[in-house]
Amino acid sequence: MTETHSKADRQVGLVFDLNKCMGCQSCSVACKMLWTRGKGEEHQWWCTTNTMPGRGTPRDWEQMGGGYRDGELVLGHEPSLEEFGGGWKFNKEDVFFGGKGQSVHLTPITADGTPPTWGPNWDEDQGGGRFPNAYFFYLPRICNHCTRPACVEACPSGAMYKREEDGIVLRDQDVCQGSRKCMQACPYKKIYFNHVSGVAQHCNLCFPRLERGVAPACARNCPGRLVFVGMLDDEKDPVHRLVHEWKVALPLHPEFGTEPNVFYVPPLSPYRLREDRSIDTETMRIPPEYLESLFGPRVHEVLAKLRSEIERVREGGRSELLDTLIVYYWKMLFGPFAEEPAVVEAAKGEAR
Amino acid sequence: MSDGRRTNPTEEHARRHVAEEWDEAHFSTHCVNCVPADCPIYVLVKDGKVVREEAAGVREPMEPGVPDMNPMICQAGLAWSLGMEGPDRLEYPLRRVGERGEGRWERISWDEALTEVADAILDAIEEVGPESLVHEVSPQIGSGHAAWRFTDVLGGQLLDVNATINDFHTGYLQTFGKSSIAHSNDDAFHSELILVWHSNPAYTNIPWFHFMAEARYRGAEIILISPDVSPSHSHVDYHIPVRHGTDGALALAACQVIISEGLVDWGFAASQTDLPLLVRTDTGQYLRQSHLERGGRDDRFFHAHPERGAVPADPANLLLDFKPLAEGTLEVETLDAGRVRVEPLFARLRRMLDEHYTPEQAAEICEVHPDAIRLLARKVASRKTRIPVGVGICKYYHGDLMNRSMLLLLGLTGNWGKKGAGAASWNSFMFDGSSMAMAKTEAGVEAGKALLEASRAIRRHVMEQDPTLSEELADREVVRLLGGRMMLPPAFYWYTHAGFRERWNNPAWNDPDMPRDFDAYYWEAVDSQAWNPATEIAATKPPRVLLEVGGNTLRRTRGGKNALLRNLWPKLTKIVCMDFRMSQTAIYADIVLPAAQHHEKTAFAMPTPWPFILSMSHAVVPPYGESRDEWPVMIDLLEKIAERASARGLESYQRSDGTSRRYDELRNLFTLNGALEDKESVVREELADAVSSGNLPPGTTIETFREKGYSHYNDWAFVSLLTANASPFPRNETHSPLRNHVELGHPYPTLTRRAQFLIDHPWYQEAGEDLPCHKEPPAMGGDYPFRLSGGHSRWSVHAMNMTNPLLLETHRGKPFVLINDRVACEKGIEDDSPVRVWNDVGEFVVPARTSPAQRPDGLTVYNGFEGFLFPGGNGSNEVEVGMVKWLHLAAGYGHLFHSPIEWQPVPFDRCIFVDCKLFVGDSDPAGSKSAVS
Repeated sequence: MTETHSKADRQVGLVFDLNKCMGCQSCSVACKMLWTRGKGEEHQWWCTTNTMPGRGTPRDWEQMGGGYRDGELVLGHEPSLEEFGGGWKFNKEDVFFGGKGQSVHLTPITADGTPPTWGPNWDEDQGGGRFPNAYFFYLPRICNHCTRPACVEACPSGAMYKREEDGIVLRDQDVCQGSRKCMQACPYKKIYFNHVSGVAQHCNLCFPRLERGVAPACARNCPGRLVFVGMLDDEKDPVHRLVHEWKVALPLHPEFGTEPNVFYVPPLSPYRLREDRSIDTETMRIPPEYLESLFGPRVHEVLAKLRSEIERVREGGRSELLDTLIVYYWKMLFGPFAEEPAVVEAAKGEAR
Repeated sequence: MSDGRRTNPTEEHARRHVAEEWDEAHFSTHCVNCVPADCPIYVLVKDGKVVREEAAGVREPMEPGVPDMNPMICQAGLAWSLGMEGPDRLEYPLRRVGERGEGRWERISWDEALTEVADAILDAIEEVGPESLVHEVSPQIGSGHAAWRFTDVLGGQLLDVNATINDFHTGYLQTFGKSSIAHSNDDAFHSELILVWHSNPAYTNIPWFHFMAEARYRGAEIILISPDVSPSHSHVDYHIPVRHGTDGALALAACQVIISEGLVDWGFAASQTDLPLLVRTDTGQYLRQSHLERGGRDDRFFHAHPERGAVPADPANLLLDFKPLAEGTLEVETLDAGRVRVEPLFARLRRMLDEHYTPEQAAEICEVHPDAIRLLARKVASRKTRIPVGVGICKYYHGDLMNRSMLLLLGLTGNWGKKGAGAASWNSFMFDGSSMAMAKTEAGVEAGKALLEASRAIRRHVMEQDPTLSEELADREVVRLLGGRMMLPPAFYWYTHAGFRERWNNPAWNDPDMPRDFDAYYWEAVDSQAWNPATEIAATKPPRVLLEVGGNTLRRTRGGKNALLRNLWPKLTKIVCMDFRMSQTAIYADIVLPAAQHHEKTAFAMPTPWPFILSMSHAVVPPYGESRDEWPVMIDLLEKIAERASARGLESYQRSDGTSRRYDELRNLFTLNGALEDKESVVREELADAVSSGNLPPGTTIETFREKGYSHYNDWAFVSLLTANASPFPRNETHSPLRNHVELGHPYPTLTRRAQFLIDHPWYQEAGEDLPCHKEPPAMGGDYPFRLSGGHSRWSVHAMNMTNPLLLETHRGKPFVLINDRVACEKGIEDDSPVRVWNDVGEFVVPARTSPAQRPDGLTVYNGFEGFLFPGGNGSNEVEVGMVKWLHLAAGYGHLFHSPIEWQPVPFDRCIFVDCKLFVGDSDPAGSKSAVS
């Protein structure tokens, strides 16, 4: 086992406000378009957004194990290609040009030529509960760039490391032996294996963009304006304030023990309906125990705080917390990472 | 970050990946019919190919204290570049080999293709006339303009796009006299109560969903009213699970509560609506000036003054200096019936609501709790309320009634014409340049000015004839007089040529209360001449050539592709489809032409007030393969027609309006005598005209778009579809429509000059729909237990992105039917197993997605899945009947007259009656009985 490089000097943190996520997949698509269109990357979706409750991707990842128990590293299940899903191909030539009329239809095929049984977002919008009190919300996930990354500790070759200057967890692919211990160790199952190159791969937090002051592709292309990016130790940064000052941004599955640096403002939900279809304005329909199983016991006070702040503002009060969550100017999401990713040719002046 | 930090080849590789990913960045956009639209994006190009798109996020903020609109992007835009290359990108012209729909093609040259099309058009003109060329106008303004112009110059039929699509809010037009009103996206931030009603913004309003979430953080409450626990439920406070098609009862009961609890904003309602107008208790109609005095007008009405009795209701100014009575009766002496008792419409409405729409009564109908209705009513009455209605409601048979009821709820509570309040619709044509391009006969800015001056002169003339008309009303009057030919309502074409006569006359599929046969109303409408020239053309000019450019008629026509394949296709000698991908319609076409698409050509995005900016696609990479911009293709086609005509010794032909055209003048007509030879010159002309008219800021050029990524607007567009917004042009503030009516007392373009809840047209009275009411959705499709509905999908703008490989992977890569989990279990249907859905019209097979979010009697198939995505080739539209409502044939009544994009019969596809079961075996895969001859 390798010594964990967990003593980063500084740490980039993200906060996802789940009260704004509409499950559009823009974050997932933006990431994949930038990073994982190469060979062996077809099924890799470093950012995924799944419906919760749901089995997610890889299927049933929450029960696959990994992380730490009583301070000790635990190796869990290594997800298979089928459990991740994705990397599909389509029979377009056949349907459009094959001369087979209505006898063929466009249909996805997995890498081994069979119809898919799972995908990166297979159980979209199924959710839980019972009509009319069904419920679900959307949960975007990337690598959490944990403070105590189990993947780094589990890596037998020393390929994995955590950068000191920003806490981003990366992998030296020349050193990686393809043992996939990282995949067993990560409890969030956010590591993929490239079967062509023989190395594991995962979200790199768009570090080349961050180094240029540009926000990660997932955050910057989120139309929900819900992804805050900043330095966790900067007291003025919204990420810091949401996590450490107002304490409304919570880690996902804190019991996994890896101390993730991606946090979530938990989701409010619509009121429950009683048997007679009257509205029970005392009870939100996502069961509190379910939310607690995801975000820990503080989730209840966070939701109560959000509700009371909203009521206060409704009555004419002001709330710095809500003003921060509103995000009056889009670039306020990105802290020190608000640079443009491009300068267009036409704006380059007399060169044209 | 720091120097001297540890790095390694992997990190360097990643840095190079980002640094060398592209070598040129440009602004561009996607010119698609998604409203909102106009997202400025960065298009990243390497070696002449688009490698990726990213949100630019450059739009300046509008109103201080309101969140800005950035980033403006969605997943379809982010993955779009994947659709710019094969395999479903068309690379060269194709000619069908074998039967239509077989999918066998031979590659041909552009010259061969255009020759074949030209010959077919000439044959059609010779046999029938130019009206036998049919083009369904595309909503894709960026592509569709060339084909529109081509068809118009030739004299072909342009079918009204807002009817072929049906995004037309009939209820708005019945009430406001117009439907083309919109809010700016960010106006939602001002709302105190948002009713997500007949809308699914989590799917369909991706770039501006955030305004609703932000409004919530400002204290707004959000109520979702939908039959299912829709995907938009996650961020609302209340959900009222109304039964399919019963929303009218819900709204009316909320109105009953508001009235009975004394919560009516009578100052607003009295000024803005017809509720204080006097109605006769004998005929149920408005009391009119013509009833009281000889030579009196039919369009002048009366209030009940507290002291003076019946006084004329001002047709020009709605602001009141007294409070009209809401209750009580008066006696008046009429010319036709002697003494008659009259009362304010409000009194009659109140009685109707008290008798039929108490919360308890509505709760039974809607399957909700009466307290939920009271909660809704009290909140609407005390909060600034906005209903971001989607375009689903108008696709219900009685959507007009539901819509009218919703507007009544807003009208009783002062909830429109104010920032943060109101209901709105689809709104486009915000760009003078493209509107003027369709009307100009000469190129140049001076010609544009002359055109504008001429339209203002006409407007002035109309206002002189009737000084009570405002500018907006004069514009609508001009539309009434002159607009009929611009686009033809397709109902008559469908009735005559596409087999819908039988469907529409089936009493089982119509409202059971429809008093007479559908044909009785149809022929009365035809004989009235109010729908000319569409009715004449449908009767005398059978279709021969279908020109599909930027549209997909086989996927979207309600009634299913098989109906069209059986009835219309055999009449067509040539089906030409120009697109950038192999669509459903392309598969069944004779000639397929590859179109250039975004980033390969210069074009505009949808000009709409929602984002209050206009964006452009720029030609930053060459067109793929042999694909071409539509504009020069249409020019070439006109040249080819002239060439082939000359070879046949043909010089000219007659159009049905009596004018004739020479074949050799068509090209000049199209290009304005050589001024508009290519797309860029068109765009420059349009921009110059829009700057000159004041619609766009001075100095706006293609170059400023390229540098900045978009343009602001400087003023409303001049067309009536935009003056309909009736609000000051917003400078640094959000926009809400109808403010001029509320703040300045400007009249509405209705018969009564007010928002009108009574329609005293004889058909409406006969139907019992003169006042809004609830009617059960008719059994469209037969007597079956499930209600099939839909909505725009999350994963594609209509069908455009349905085969994008990345977007397919964000779901199951195939269509699905959403079915309640318990119901599925009872039927032995597991998640993802195939389900056969059928009714008396047709059937299809589709995999199941089971969920507790679905209503037990509900089924949902989202819109846009092409037939070729379903096993057997039949999509969900095969079970749609494609009904229209007879009352939408009414014309010649005040504001009910045919107008382009607006008043006309429109087809329905929601709340279809079907049954479903597990599909076992392929003994009879759906579709085998529907092969085309």
